[in-house]
Amino acid sequence: MVESTPTNPTLAIDVRGARYVYPTGNVVALGGVDLQVAHGEIIGIIGQNGSGKTTLTKLFNGLLKPTAGTVIVNGVDTAKHSVQQMAAHVGYVFQNPNHQLFARTVRMELEFGPRNIGVPEDEITERVDEVVEFFGLQEFIEEHPYRVSFPVRKLVGIASIVAMRPPIIIFDEPSTGQDHNTTHIINGLMRRLRERGTTVVCVSHDMPLLADVVERVIVMKSTEVIADASPREVFADQALMARTNLQAPQVTQIALQTVVPLGGPVALTPAELAADIAQRRGKSARRGRTSSVAG
Amino acid sequence: MSMQAAMPIAMIPGNSIIHRINPLAKLVWVVGYVILAFSTQNIVILYSMALFALLLAPIAGVTKPLLKGALILVPVGSSLLALQIIAPAVERPWTAVDQIGPLVLYGDGVYYGFVLLGRIVASLLMALIMVMTTHPSDLFTSFAKLKVPYTLNFMLAMTLQLIPVFQREVGIIMSAQKSRGMKGTGFSAVLPSFVPVFVGAIERVQQLSISLESRGFGSDGIKTSYRQVRGRASDWVVGIVGAVVLITLSVVAITKGTWSLANEITFSPLFVLITFLIAATLFAGVILAAIAFSFKK
Ligand SMILES: Nc1ncnc2c1ncn2[C@@H]1O[C@H](COP(=O)(O)OP(=O)(O)OP(=O)(O)O)[C@@H](O)[C@H]1O
Ligand SMILES: [Mg+2]
Repeated sequence: MVESTPTNPTLAIDVRGARYVYPTGNVVALGGVDLQVAHGEIIGIIGQNGSGKTTLTKLFNGLLKPTAGTVIVNGVDTAKHSVQQMAAHVGYVFQNPNHQLFARTVRMELEFGPRNIGVPEDEITERVDEVVEFFGLQEFIEEHPYRVSFPVRKLVGIASIVAMRPPIIIFDEPSTGQDHNTTHIINGLMRRLRERGTTVVCVSHDMPLLADVVERVIVMKSTEVIADASPREVFADQALMARTNLQAPQVTQIALQTVVPLGGPVALTPAELAADIAQRRGKSARRGRTSSVAG
Repeated sequence: MSMQAAMPIAMIPGNSIIHRINPLAKLVWVVGYVILAFSTQNIVILYSMALFALLLAPIAGVTKPLLKGALILVPVGSSLLALQIIAPAVERPWTAVDQIGPLVLYGDGVYYGFVLLGRIVASLLMALIMVMTTHPSDLFTSFAKLKVPYTLNFMLAMTLQLIPVFQREVGIIMSAQKSRGMKGTGFSAVLPSFVPVFVGAIERVQQLSISLESRGFGSDGIKTSYRQVRGRASDWVVGIVGAVVLITLSVVAITKGTWSLANEITFSPLFVLITFLIAATLFAGVILAAIAFSFKK
């Protein structure tokens, strides 16, 4: 079986034949998943509710240990290490920030993770200052985390993980229920993490966000990975979308029905589609001009 | 505590005779058990009660979950007995029966230790059997029939239903904090785990009350219930027999001044020694297991 394959130390995440069965009620949540993610990759995981996305990502930081198969993350076998030990390798941003905020001030909340993994005090201050700046949390820094609005709480939750500077970060639904500004910041964060070479795994139903920031999309359906390709390929595959009950971003759907049959691109962002349309209009206008000159 | 830890105490669905008994009749037994257990010091009665409750488990098909729930008795029971043997809760002078190193073992507390343990075992087993075989709403529908005010009844029901919700929340919160490198145990784990639970609880209750009021909670009138509970002749028999037997025994016990057999039953020094060794070993085992477990996490 797959166990014989040697693990590759250059991979950020190396999952081989991983199965997971929830002990309560013997629910098979993952049925033999293989997945290799290189360092610095930004991947998205999509799939219907209950397809196993969260379960898969919980294997990455050892919150769940595979019932069969192996999960090696950053060269470390998750089965042999506690979640706390994995925390230095993998950051996990939970969907609901209310599940992790407890400190008296936002600043203390941000210091908690780095301190737990043994970052020296002066560096903690530096890291906290950095995330405060990036997420625009300056005015909330001495506030109680529960007194700030929900989108800000979400940002605090994310910032508290980013401040740990793990080489791999997992987001479970980072943008669900967030306002435009927060989604915009999250979008910018993904870019920043990419520049830094951080590996990012983003579970999301927010297709426009994924289309915009990830380089690779993993599609899950009933406990299995059924597709693994670039967002362009995945979102252009209408049969796949229909089979998994997923919807490509609206702009991609429009592109597929309009410019793609004419040889245009499978647009992932409004800007891309707009550029193509502008180009076509330019062309036809020029053609119009030339023909009128000729006439 | 893993996130997937099964809910320790919850209804085990089934259709056994015990499941079908009217919740109020079962409640009579539980209350009767508690009253009798705490009005007597007669270990024959206490352990017969425990045995009887235990015999109901296979009938109801809840043996395995019952034993799992009763595991809590291991640390409680072993520490209780071990303590009673080295420091009896009775008046001095104590009679030493043996000595292990610096520890002097006394026989005087053994009887009382078994009484305390018997009370806990009997009441707990019966209560667990009731909880595991009764749908919570059936219990509250029955309360409503007894004219317990609807609001009070509803509050009781909600509280019970929120327990598994909070158990789940605690699991998620612990996961979230461990993912940030929190050490799973000790004082430093208290704030990070409990603040989110309590804040979540308060928010949930606030929202619940708003949503309840917006759906007309608190309006007058007779409330109907989806689940119907009948009181059949057999339920009356079970309830009345339970009430009569348990109350009679309680009254007899009280008139006999707890009906203690402490003077009739004497424990041989060997028995005391063995009891102590077993209890102390179990207790040490529990502690070591807890320590090992916290390190593993
Ligand atoms: N704690 C649990 N105990 C038992 N079964 C569970 C548990 N958590 C999830 N499952 C089951 O495992 C399967 C996969 O769930 P998972 O949460 O991984 O899905 P998901 O893709 O993240 O879904 P969603 O989009 O709703 O977040 C589902 O069938 C779910 O019901
Ligand atoms: Mg999920």
